Amino acid sequence: MPELGRAALLVTLGLSVYALVAGAMAAHLGRRRLARSAQNALVASFGTTAVAAAVLLAALLRNDFSFTYVARTTSEALPTAYTISAFWGGQEGSLLLWLLVLTGFGAAAVSLNRRWARDLIVWVVPVFAGVATFFAFLVVAVASPFATQVAPADGAGMTPSLQNPYMLAHPPLLYLGYVGLTVPFAFAMGALLSGKLDERWLIATRRWTLFAWAALGIGQLLGSHWAYVEVGWGGYYAWDPVENAALMPWLAATAFLHSVMIQERRGMLKVWNVLLVILAFSLSLFGTFLTRSGVVNSIHSFTQSSIGPWFLAFIVVVVTVSLGLLFWRLPQLRSPTKLESPVSREAAFLYNNLLLLALCLAILWGVVYPMLSELVRGEAVVLGRSYYDFFLRAFGLPLLLLMGIGPLIAWRRASLKSLATTFRWPTGVAAATGIVLLLLGAGSSVPGLVAYTFSAFVLATIVMEFARGTRARKALGASSWPAAFASLISRNRRRYGGYVVHAAIVMLAIGIAGSSAFDSVGEAKLARGESMTIGDYTLRYSSLDERATANATEIRATLDVHRGDRDLGTLQAGKNAYTIEDQISNEVGIRSDRLTGEDLFVIAEQINRDGSVQFRVFVKPLVNLIWLAGLVFLVGSLVTLWPDRREQRRLVARASEAGLPATP
Amino acid sequence: MARKASPARLVIALSVAGVLAVFLLYTSIAGGGNPSLPPSELAGRTGEVQLAGLVVGPVRGDAHDGGLRFRLKDISGDSRTSVAVLYTGSVPDLFKVGRHIVVDGELERGTFVAQPGSMITKCPSKYAPKSDSA
Repeated sequence: MPELGRAALLVTLGLSVYALVAGAMAAHLGRRRLARSAQNALVASFGTTAVAAAVLLAALLRNDFSFTYVARTTSEALPTAYTISAFWGGQEGSLLLWLLVLTGFGAAAVSLNRRWARDLIVWVVPVFAGVATFFAFLVVAVASPFATQVAPADGAGMTPSLQNPYMLAHPPLLYLGYVGLTVPFAFAMGALLSGKLDERWLIATRRWTLFAWAALGIGQLLGSHWAYVEVGWGGYYAWDPVENAALMPWLAATAFLHSVMIQERRGMLKVWNVLLVILAFSLSLFGTFLTRSGVVNSIHSFTQSSIGPWFLAFIVVVVTVSLGLLFWRLPQLRSPTKLESPVSREAAFLYNNLLLLALCLAILWGVVYPMLSELVRGEAVVLGRSYYDFFLRAFGLPLLLLMGIGPLIAWRRASLKSLATTFRWPTGVAAATGIVLLLLGAGSSVPGLVAYTFSAFVLATIVMEFARGTRARKALGASSWPAAFASLISRNRRRYGGYVVHAAIVMLAIGIAGSSAFDSVGEAKLARGESMTIGDYTLRYSSLDERATANATEIRATLDVHRGDRDLGTLQAGKNAYTIEDQISNEVGIRSDRLTGEDLFVIAEQINRDGSVQFRVFVKPLVNLIWLAGLVFLVGSLVTLWPDRREQRRLVARASEAGLPATP
Repeated sequence: MARKASPARLVIALSVAGVLAVFLLYTSIAGGGNPSLPPSELAGRTGEVQLAGLVVGPVRGDAHDGGLRFRLKDISGDSRTSVAVLYTGSVPDLFKVGRHIVVDGELERGTFVAQPGSMITKCPSKYAPKSDSA
């Protein structure tokens, strides 16, 4: 079996190289049949990668420990679901998954667009093939998932904290996001190479980018939620390099999704858009490099692996070649229009882009700073949490405000007078919210108060937009209010789906502000029967129990929780000691208030021999809005992603109006 | 991209200037970060640093009562130097002898006094898990 896997990967490598070389030749010389053959090779490489993936999956499911990879990542006792998740648990499997998704996306994106954008596609194929060649080379020559050994009696098993449903979804979603960003990159490079620099590459890839971006966003939120409920240190994001590795391409892609609208509508920002795509793709490669190379001190990346230098080299090649291409095509990328006023929709989107990019680059600077300072000063200097928090506030808060302003401001040129009319209500709502919160004592954190106030402003604009649109549709003859509302969204999915996503981001901002700026912490060593208070909660430590399960000993402290006079029942916190893996894990107790979104979060930090327990307790207001935001984000993304023939026709028509061969 | 003067250039120039100003503001207020050092390079160091090392036993004391005492040595290299560490606050689940940890703190009379709750453990497993507390 491992031979089949190895052979399949070798064929994948061959097909990728063929698609790269033949595709480039065909495109350069204008050979149609050769170009077709290169496309077919790309599609076929997906097939052969799928065979290799099936072999690995089968080996995992059969517990075939003669595969080194299987022996290292699973064990006999591991439940089937986690045996499957071991596919992306280790480095070799992750790379194979990357290759599988890449060839799959490549085959699909090329096949879907080959009719209406043939002259573009001929150059997209070799770009995809080039990226696929790199990954195929890695799994063939550097980190093969099909290495074999004399089968040991049992595998090494999986780290307990990864034996968790979150690990079934969080890593693959991030991969879908990372790899998905290859699609816009390949089309952008295809456009540069072919010289067909019209808007078709944007139209062809809009949904792919949205999909990748949504997957990356949801994947990160799942990761945060996992950290919050399972890892149990009381937070959900630690600005760790590997967390940042997913956040940076997401920010770049967010900027891209916005600036694309300016190019579609006004033909501006062409160079900028290509730059953003290059940045997003390079950052997704850089993310993998960070995770896998061990060059930075991260709490995640410990694999001192051999693929680091390869990745670094590939990133250098990608950046150099793509910037070179961009520079070469610069004269053809001049915009026909230019910014008319610094107070306009275009300008607002530009500010949004600059802020997103500034945030992204500030994070990047923080991530690479230890490496750079080591090179320059001879010692690694680590930038801590305060660095990132500072920039999140400095750039994030203005971004939040712009989210309310941007979508409502007029194109081309807006007068200050019209602005005053448009934003009369939202400003009023925001001011009222700010004052009420100030009176309620929210002034204890200025950034928190500002975040709440800006959030109120944005929510008011969103509600206003939905109300205005629904009223207009009702006036145009919709039978009922719900019908008017539904028709409003279905007729302009991008716009209203976008508003829903904005609402999700606002909820996220409120959740983050509430849980980080207005939280409280308490710590106490309690003997049985003693109590502690935090905020208006009283916790009484009543009992300590120990029970043995199949693979762990579980110790739980039970606490009776009261809020004022109300009995809120009991909460358990403790530790699990995993015997085989010789590991201990914190099992936190969380009580969520459904009405206010507040969490009471209890960690049993230290359980002493005499039965006393060192407790650490957090009260985190509004933290549940963060998870709810994830759901809203998903809904909004689905609305914008939903196939919309009318819109696609409109975009294609607009592209062909501009004198382009839409269907050659 | 336009050849004639357009607000776009002004906007970009102003934004870049704004971003730089924020950066300057940050570095002037918050200063740089902490140097990250292995135990062998700690001798004679003053000021706050981040210490990354391998835990050497015995581990004594109580992190919530008087402090946890252990020694750290270099993760890689030949150096046999180790430094005494006094730590208070949350102890991550993965902390034990032989693990790689990172703590922030300051050298005081030969003992590295860590900031409460600053310990981060790194998992030694090859399996690059995302499993830790920060």
